[in-house]
Amino acid sequence: MTTMTQAPPTAGADVRRFVATPVRPSSPVGGTQRRKRLDPARGGRRARMLFLLPAGLFLAVFSIYPLIQLCRMAVSDVTPATLGAAWKLVGFANVVKGWVSGATPQAIIRTLIFVVIVTILGMGIGFAGAVALRTKGRWSSILLALMVFVWALPPVVNGSVWKFLLGENGLFNGIIMGLHLADRPVPFLFDPSVALISVALVNSFAVIPFNALVYRAAMMNIDPEVFEAAQIDGANRWQEVRHILSPMARPTSLVLLVLTLVYGFRSFDYIYVMTAGGPGTATNTLPFLGYMQAFVRYDYGLGAATSVLTLLGVLVLAVVYTRSIRKEEGE
Amino acid sequence: MNIKAGPVNILIKALLTLMYAIPILWIVLTSFKSSADVFTTQASFIFKPTVAAYTEAFGPELLGALKQSILIAVGTTVGVLLFAIPAAYALARASGWLTNLGLGLLIVLQMMPHTTNVIPLFQIFGSWGILDSTLSLVVADTALLIPWATMLLRPFFRVVPVALEEAGRIDGASTLRSFWSIVLPVARNGVFTVGTLVFLLAWGEFLYAINFFLTPGKYPLSALIAMQVGAFGINWPGLMALAVMTSIPIVIVFICTYRLLRDGLTVGAVK
Repeated sequence: MTTMTQAPPTAGADVRRFVATPVRPSSPVGGTQRRKRLDPARGGRRARMLFLLPAGLFLAVFSIYPLIQLCRMAVSDVTPATLGAAWKLVGFANVVKGWVSGATPQAIIRTLIFVVIVTILGMGIGFAGAVALRTKGRWSSILLALMVFVWALPPVVNGSVWKFLLGENGLFNGIIMGLHLADRPVPFLFDPSVALISVALVNSFAVIPFNALVYRAAMMNIDPEVFEAAQIDGANRWQEVRHILSPMARPTSLVLLVLTLVYGFRSFDYIYVMTAGGPGTATNTLPFLGYMQAFVRYDYGLGAATSVLTLLGVLVLAVVYTRSIRKEEGE
Repeated sequence: MNIKAGPVNILIKALLTLMYAIPILWIVLTSFKSSADVFTTQASFIFKPTVAAYTEAFGPELLGALKQSILIAVGTTVGVLLFAIPAAYALARASGWLTNLGLGLLIVLQMMPHTTNVIPLFQIFGSWGILDSTLSLVVADTALLIPWATMLLRPFFRVVPVALEEAGRIDGASTLRSFWSIVLPVARNGVFTVGTLVFLLAWGEFLYAINFFLTPGKYPLSALIAMQVGAFGINWPGLMALAVMTSIPIVIVFICTYRLLRDGLTVGAVK
């Protein structure tokens, strides 16, 4: 069980990979490394386990213990008044309360819509972008740098400018009104049925650079001779994408797919900045709903219960992720 | 291999260029507008540039937030690397049930929504009386990013040839010694890549900041933006000026580490 692995990056690695890497059709990203290694010296093993200790202890106190607290809160009645005191055990009352009020099922549906939009656009445009960015030249390298830069910016910065661009007097409504495409400005972020899609689109925008970068690296690893052979056989560009790039990028796609699913699922920063969950509850996805219940409605027990539900979602995704990595590594 | 750009290629690149250049352009343009210009000619390029938004935003409050941002981002980067490097090395070299358990836990922890962690941490920090302190924010950010950083670092250690360590051990180096002077230098690209990414993430983190700091006086820049963008009647030029100033350190880090990010990000592929 490992993450995606690859040769260590060196300056100008793409170029070198082009020239020197032999064909590894089964795993363009994870190929250049031996899978199993023998422990060099048995005596070193125990010493190396000590290397795990600091992180283990730190995470036990600041990650695992909070998780236990979260589960305890989820089955208790916790309000700001009782936050620091003993909690009254209420069992599944919090979960039931969230479910009966309709908040939880609605949030689950919203989360699904959100994740589907982010995943389809993130994967689709990421792949298309990688195909386009494979070309050498100044435009491609500047565009790639621009995309990685936007990706590296704090989400609050990207979210703010998109809130501005999508506003009533923003650029998009300026264009729409200027071209007389609508009588009134489109309420991208103020209409309950549009807001969720708007935020999902901006979230896709935020994940595309990363996906394009990873896809591009996978494509760069394909032996150039494959393309030469295809060209001799008279393959056109579309056939090249269809019959070489997509199948070769499949192992990458699998891992990237899970990562994009996870990204969409746990996303909250763009929602926070652009709509704060609104209008009403229109953009409350499941992770965001838990936060709102705890820190806006001050019902920590209810918020914790909703968060435990998101945790179940995480567990499912983690299993899928682990399996896809195993598959990618061919274990 | 020389790939020529076809018309579809050019179309995709043109669309992507628009998609990613316009927001950047708009941040900068708007930051040089006056509040009046924003509402009359928001979508136009023709306006009288002014630095009013910058002069208004600049002051002790901004400098304080900048200092907080630097403290938090640097502190988190150091903290995460301190814990994640040895853990990643151990997990890269060892196998067995303990390693698998550790990896499984890290995968789950790295996938946890940020919004989920904030609820119990708020309660725990409250009961320990350490809310409203920069150190506890660094601790929270560090705990948030260790799992992810460890998973990202591990492949970099896995590609360090074991033979190098064996050679060191034959020469009588201890595990610690061979790790420090043989493995770490070989894997330094990974450490730099992950360090940069942790810095970028910690710089942009705002959810812990707005909840753990009880007064905006201690907010880092990202939290200031998050607070202002949620207010009624947003002062857009002021907000965009703040966004530009928040992004300047990112520009510097980006210029210094772009090649590393471009090639290193795809190694661990975990974000």
